[in-house]
Amino acid sequence: ISLTLLFSFCRNLLARKQNARLDKQNDLGWKLFGKVPLRENTQKDSKKIQKEYEDKTGRPSKPPSPKQNVRKNLDFEPLSTTALILEDRPANLPAKPAEEAQKHRQQYEEMVVQAKKRELKEAQRRKKQLEERCRVEESIGNAVLTWNNEILPNWETMWCSRKVRDLWWQGIPPSVRGKVWSLAIGNELNITHELFDICLARAKERWRSLSTGGSEVESEDAGFSAADREASLELIKLDISRTFPNLCIFQQGGPYHDMLHSILGAYTCYRPDVGYVQGMSFIAAVLILNLDTADAFIAFSNLLNKPCQMAFFRVDHGLMLTYFAAFEVFFEENLPKLFAHFKKNNLTPDIYLIDWIFTLYSKSLPLDLACRIWDVFCRDGEEFLFRTALGILKLFEDILTKMDFIHMAQFLTRLPEDLPAEELFASIATIQMQSRNKKWAQVLTALQKDSREMEKGSPSLRH
Amino acid sequence: MQVPHKEHLYKLLVIGDLGVGKTSIIKRYVHQNFSSHYRATIGVDFALKVLHWDPETVVRLQLWDIAGQERFGNMTRVYYREAMGAFIVFDVTRPATFEAVAKWKNDLDSKLTLPNGKPVSVVLLANKCDQGKEVLLNNGLKMDQFCKEHGFVGWFETSAKENINIDEASRCLVKHILANECDLIESIEPDIVKPHLTSSKVAPCWWVMQQS
Repeated sequence: ISLTLLFSFCRNLLARKQNARLDKQNDLGWKLFGKVPLRENTQKDSKKIQKEYEDKTGRPSKPPSPKQNVRKNLDFEPLSTTALILEDRPANLPAKPAEEAQKHRQQYEEMVVQAKKRELKEAQRRKKQLEERCRVEESIGNAVLTWNNEILPNWETMWCSRKVRDLWWQGIPPSVRGKVWSLAIGNELNITHELFDICLARAKERWRSLSTGGSEVESEDAGFSAADREASLELIKLDISRTFPNLCIFQQGGPYHDMLHSILGAYTCYRPDVGYVQGMSFIAAVLILNLDTADAFIAFSNLLNKPCQMAFFRVDHGLMLTYFAAFEVFFEENLPKLFAHFKKNNLTPDIYLIDWIFTLYSKSLPLDLACRIWDVFCRDGEEFLFRTALGILKLFEDILTKMDFIHMAQFLTRLPEDLPAEELFASIATIQMQSRNKKWAQVLTALQKDSREMEKGSPSLRH
Repeated sequence: MQVPHKEHLYKLLVIGDLGVGKTSIIKRYVHQNFSSHYRATIGVDFALKVLHWDPETVVRLQLWDIAGQERFGNMTRVYYREAMGAFIVFDVTRPATFEAVAKWKNDLDSKLTLPNGKPVSVVLLANKCDQGKEVLLNNGLKMDQFCKEHGFVGWFETSAKENINIDEASRCLVKHILANECDLIESIEPDIVKPHLTSSKVAPCWWVMQQS
């Protein structure tokens, strides 16, 4: 079962529950003003109230107090006192003068009119919300059909068509997300399920020998010392407990703990030259939420094999700096004011981009939003990671330009948790990945060439 | 007469092996809370702590919480620039993290010095002391010796979980940084001190001394 699906199911259930509660509150609320039906004009309301009032004054014995309703729902206590203004004074006090009673009647009517207005507005808002949700659910339903029946069976011919690209930008429905990601990432490395099993078996062997403290004599891994490997496996253990800890599914005893452990362990056996690097656990976790273990491993290995990911996960500092430099070219082009502000404050991309790129935004953005970023990243490649960064910066440009270094750094390393998806995508859409007619890849290549020449020309400048 | 308000801004590094509790210590120190659910730090995280050092002095600490994986070495070293002090943290329940302490210290000293060429003040934190495995620390004298040999200005057994010794450790570090800064003044020619610096929000220590 897809976990994402489960999540969205729970969310819908919750939303429905909340809605039901609201309706109930609504009913109760109206009872407080007598049996005034919804959607009657206010003119009639006041007449009716007037009548009720007359009934009431005509009958000295107290009618059922509105407070009785209040007991059922304490949320409405403030409103419940509204009708009290019409009550007669207690017997031990002088009676209400007629003009004051009249004033109270007026005030009461005004209050009722206001409350009615509020209720009507609220009802309209809820109706709109409901319609919006139905619309979204329907469009997701339609999208699932399109993906399953039209696009996936004809992947090779359709994936780069205009129609598919547009649909893709809207977000891939969770039920087909894994399949689309797998297809888009591809399997250049030709990894089979059998290869995954072999790597996993080897990883398990190592865990066993480590826990029993047995000595290892494996000549094939020469160059990667036992200590290194031990450290790598130890790091995986430490990091798994710190991967989406709030979801409580990857931690020891959680349903996805073993899967995450397996993928990361198998990868260190598959690519001992790369090993385990922090950030990987987040990427593997997101894949696990959308794919079976072996397919997640295949996607994981191929994803990390992309040039940008390889540069970062091998911590090729020179190449990383080239990526940052390319990013800054587009930063200056798209957001010159903010760029100057960052420069003035010495806020360099390595301060905020490292986390974003290493975890592909899965740590810094809400998970469902991060998945939407991954959707388009799978479509557009590494360029979209940097475009997203610029979209985020643009979205918060006004706030950021008012901040000093430390507050900007804090803000960017801990983005708001309620970052709205549609606003972010709208912001990203306005970012031009074109600088003086050069595209991302061209800018990057030119900078790489420059840095290579600089290295050759003046080796003393190298750090 | 009103006492001039002195403000200092210091960049402090928090370094040490992965998972020793750097983020937890900072969260405890700055936000006064603890959670066992912190996510791994990738790259660097930030926090700001304002200390009312004495009635006339405010100290602002910019805390740089740096990812602990050794692999990130070259990448994270750029974060050391212009720091005035550091905490090196290890986990008392994992001896390997203590073995790495000397490596972190050497690395720091080789990449960062004060303007006068001296190493920055560093305090050693033996974290997770609430876990009861004090194998490493049963001999305080040995630790004192270790700190002396490796040039730490002090060491503390800390617990972010139980809030033990974190404020004390920070005061110790800030005290040394303030003292260091005053040493720096002496090496600076007096004619460099220009009155217009009074307008500067962050008064360097040597200027503060001139006024007092």
